[in-house]
Amino acid sequence: MTTQTIDPSLRHQRREQALMTLLAAPAVLVIVALVVIPVGWLAAQSIYDNGFTLEHYRRIFTEEVYWRSFALTFRIALMVTLLTLLLGYPVAYAAAHAKRPWNVLILACVMLPFWTSVLVRAYAWLVLLQRTGVANQLLERFGLITEPLAMVHNELGTVIATVHILLPFMVLPLYSTMQKIPRELMLAGASLGGGPLYSFLRIFLPLSLPGVVAGLTLVFVLTLGFYITPELLGGGRTVMISMVVSRNVELYAQWGAASAVGVVLLVCVLAIFAAVGRIIPLDKMLGQK
Amino acid sequence: MANIGGERVEIRSASKHYGSVRALDDVSLDIAPQEFVSLLGPSGSGKTTLLGILGGFIQPSGGSVHLGGRDVTYTPPHKRDIGIVFQNYALFPHMSVGENVAFPLRARRLPKSTYAEKVRGALAMVDLAGYEERGIGQLSGGQRQRVALARAMIFEPRLILMDEPLSALDKQLRENMQIELRQLHKRLGATIIYVTHDQREALTMSDRVAILKDGKLVQIDRPERLHDHPANAFVASFIGEATLLPVERVGSDSVSLAGTVLKSARPIAPNGELVLAIQTEKLLIEDGSGSPERNRLEARVTDVVFQGESLRVFLALDDGTPLSLRQPSHYEAARRIPPVGGRLALSLHPQDTIIVPKAGA
Amino acid sequence: MAKSLNFRTASVAAGFFLAMLGSAMAAEQIMFVSQGGAYQKAQTIAILDPSAKKLGITINQDSVPDAWPIMRSQVASGKPTWDVVDVATNFCLRGGEQGIVEKLDFSKIPNAAAMPAEYRSDYSVAYEFYSSVLGYNLKKFPDAASAPKSWADFWDVKKFSGRRSLRNHPLATLEAALMADGVAPDKLYPLDVERAFKKLEEIKPNITVWWTSGAQSAQLLNDGEVDMVMAWNGRISALTKEGAKVTYTYNQGILQSTSLCVLKGAPNLPTAIKFLNEAVDPVHQANLPLHIDYGPANPKAYDTKVISEARVKELPSAPENAKVQALMSYAWWTSPAGEAAEKRWLQFMQK
Ligand SMILES: Nc1ncnc2c1ncn2[C@@H]1O[C@H](COP(=O)(O)OP(=O)(O)OP(=O)(O)O)[C@@H](O)[C@H]1O
Ligand SMILES: [Mg+2]
Repeated sequence: MTTQTIDPSLRHQRREQALMTLLAAPAVLVIVALVVIPVGWLAAQSIYDNGFTLEHYRRIFTEEVYWRSFALTFRIALMVTLLTLLLGYPVAYAAAHAKRPWNVLILACVMLPFWTSVLVRAYAWLVLLQRTGVANQLLERFGLITEPLAMVHNELGTVIATVHILLPFMVLPLYSTMQKIPRELMLAGASLGGGPLYSFLRIFLPLSLPGVVAGLTLVFVLTLGFYITPELLGGGRTVMISMVVSRNVELYAQWGAASAVGVVLLVCVLAIFAAVGRIIPLDKMLGQK
Repeated sequence: MANIGGERVEIRSASKHYGSVRALDDVSLDIAPQEFVSLLGPSGSGKTTLLGILGGFIQPSGGSVHLGGRDVTYTPPHKRDIGIVFQNYALFPHMSVGENVAFPLRARRLPKSTYAEKVRGALAMVDLAGYEERGIGQLSGGQRQRVALARAMIFEPRLILMDEPLSALDKQLRENMQIELRQLHKRLGATIIYVTHDQREALTMSDRVAILKDGKLVQIDRPERLHDHPANAFVASFIGEATLLPVERVGSDSVSLAGTVLKSARPIAPNGELVLAIQTEKLLIEDGSGSPERNRLEARVTDVVFQGESLRVFLALDDGTPLSLRQPSHYEAARRIPPVGGRLALSLHPQDTIIVPKAGA
Repeated sequence: MAKSLNFRTASVAAGFFLAMLGSAMAAEQIMFVSQGGAYQKAQTIAILDPSAKKLGITINQDSVPDAWPIMRSQVASGKPTWDVVDVATNFCLRGGEQGIVEKLDFSKIPNAAAMPAEYRSDYSVAYEFYSSVLGYNLKKFPDAASAPKSWADFWDVKKFSGRRSLRNHPLATLEAALMADGVAPDKLYPLDVERAFKKLEEIKPNITVWWTSGAQSAQLLNDGEVDMVMAWNGRISALTKEGAKVTYTYNQGILQSTSLCVLKGAPNLPTAIKFLNEAVDPVHQANLPLHIDYGPANPKAYDTKVISEARVKELPSAPENAKVQALMSYAWWTSPAGEAAEKRWLQFMQK
């Protein structure tokens, strides 16, 4: 009797599963075509050069050039990440607490850079920061400096522009996390005797941490792959790993040499996501509830 | 936890305006130490606003707030020492039960060695002994409510504010908690101001109930006074299960309801439109046993609804004016109700004949 | 049965027709690849269109900024679609070494055979010349007498104050460093790499920007971001034409070239060779500098009188200018020593 009543629902479930699989098939195909195949090809290239070879990897792990670039890239990523957090946290806080038209306005200002290309923004920073740029001219006019400051064509310029470009990736996850923190919690904190700073540190900050971790991870990972900004604003000295990839294409004229660097970078990124994923789930990190 | 006594609360002409909206309009309240006062009113009447002004989260547009004789109008919330239980508890989700309850101690930088003892005491008081390590997510609604209570009381505030603290609980739990809250109040002796939508809850728990409407204080009184001496038709309609019927003034102590003259033992306002407020339980089926001065009416039965312990009988006067009364559902009482369409003689004692001004309905 | 027979006849007929069409078209067209932009437009007018007309062929064009990796993968695939590539000469030479580029039979390219030996190799024919020169801001150095005139001046930060920029690439930069250290322009090769890098270390703290693109080098000089720069002559003369107060000297410039080479297994090899000969024809070559600030690769172009006297003076490959410059040896740069020097560059930049 009981088996008879259960059977139809089970069959129904199975049919639904089959339907789901069918519906998901195009998406899976797209992912295979756009992600799996290129990445697989990349990996294959990195170990194949007229036969199996680990030569490209040997070079990465033995030549100082790579170590220096990886170190520099990670250092810049770290600086950029911390600066975006420092700048982005108050902005996200303001947006999460502002009333209706203002929060939209704040977010729109943050998103504005998305509507111009990275290239245009890099040139805009050049115009602002170079020796004869707007910033230096103003500083000089107000007598704050006598010699123009070297704000661009170095690591500083790269960091400034990268922070600007990646700020939205910090602000958005922070904002979406902060928005979900009930207002009463801070009121409760105050009513229970917590001063504004104490309540912030003990209540708001810990509850916003998932957003912080998400923002840190996104910005860090994105910085690792930056190319145009350091190329244009780094003055040639700021050799990030993406530039080594491009140089390898030119120098060794083999995709393999570049692919290997790409694969190592990809492994780094996946490792970071895996490590962070243990703290907060990935879907949460990318903004959904 | 010992009886720590309550705070005297005085609110003087407090107002709060949001643009043209008067969320609170010139409200004055005097609340004695250890009193349990409920704020009752329809949605949007300003209850939360008043509570916010007391808690210090909302700056009043005018007026002042005094606690124990001290003007605290401009004192920030964290310096007011008021325990607040929020509508949805506002427990800190990233802290355990113990950490939540210890928050006020920590915020006040009290000696760490005292935490454990105090937390244990506070949790025991709300029947949650041993729950220190639990996460907030592992608690039922009632348990959360109690944690919020323990947290609001652990620092022994002399004033506790509660904003619809039981609204999220089911009926059973709610009634249990109402009793527990009353007992706690007796034991602690703190002044409690309690916001609720539920008139029954307000009447059963409070020493006094303040009725708010459109940001104004309409009446503040003991529950039975509210019931028997509503200040106007609005209060009468809000409290109990009253039918409001327009009446004409006939004399200083009598009115006419659709031609029938009714006497009232209570003073009747000398002018303005009047309404008769008949509470369902006060309208009786005439059986010849009532006192001689009783008012008598006749009506037709239009419907009878079984409601468990009682029956609600819907009636209509000859001119169609609707009325209703309540009969216990035991056989003797139910037997007296004629079938639908049948006529019924009714009586209403002048003491229960409540005539109020229509203004404010 | 009948059906399949019909089908076979039809396909045979179609195949035959296509083969006819294919061979007819193959005899008439080539795929030519250059670097795009104003440069490719100029050569289309000066060289490609006239050559196509004269030879009666169709020249299809493609352009990529960085052809070398694609050349490699095309040849590796076994079915290249490009025929002739205009690319920095070192890539032609490297292509020759690696079997990516056809060896040329100069008996079929008489125009090239008549050019100086150092302008061609077994695998390539020089196509046009440009020069890495010392450019500077006229506002900073208004007086020709006290302006920097040599790489030694560029390196002399005491006598010539101002901010400097070099290319973020070893080619020409190592040559400049050696000239700054006193090596004569015609005694550069084989480069003393050790000495060059040592000299570069010396100037490194005073280099504001190591530029990566030609546009960037021009922008740096134009905006006053730097006062002195090693840049390509065409970039600086373009600024001058727009009215910028900048100039340059050919003295100790490093004369560089792009060359034409033919991909190994090019689909239209015979037509490609015919085109190669036509492309370095003195008259076509003389037309090029009328449209862009690059010099002809065939010196005979200067005898055609197509180029005005005044214009000749501005061109990097003009005999008068070539005399004071160093001619880059692409053979050295494609040698193991040259490739090692190129790999060492990044290491130098990172320190
Ligand atoms: N921040 C605000 N801005 C504008 N109007 C407000 C604001 N807060 C409250 N109000 C208005 O003030 C009035 C009183 O609101 P309040 O929250 O005090 O009502 P309430 O009695 O608590 O209602 P409820 O029972 O629904 O909680 C309402 O009309 C409300 O719309
Ligand atoms: Mg409310």
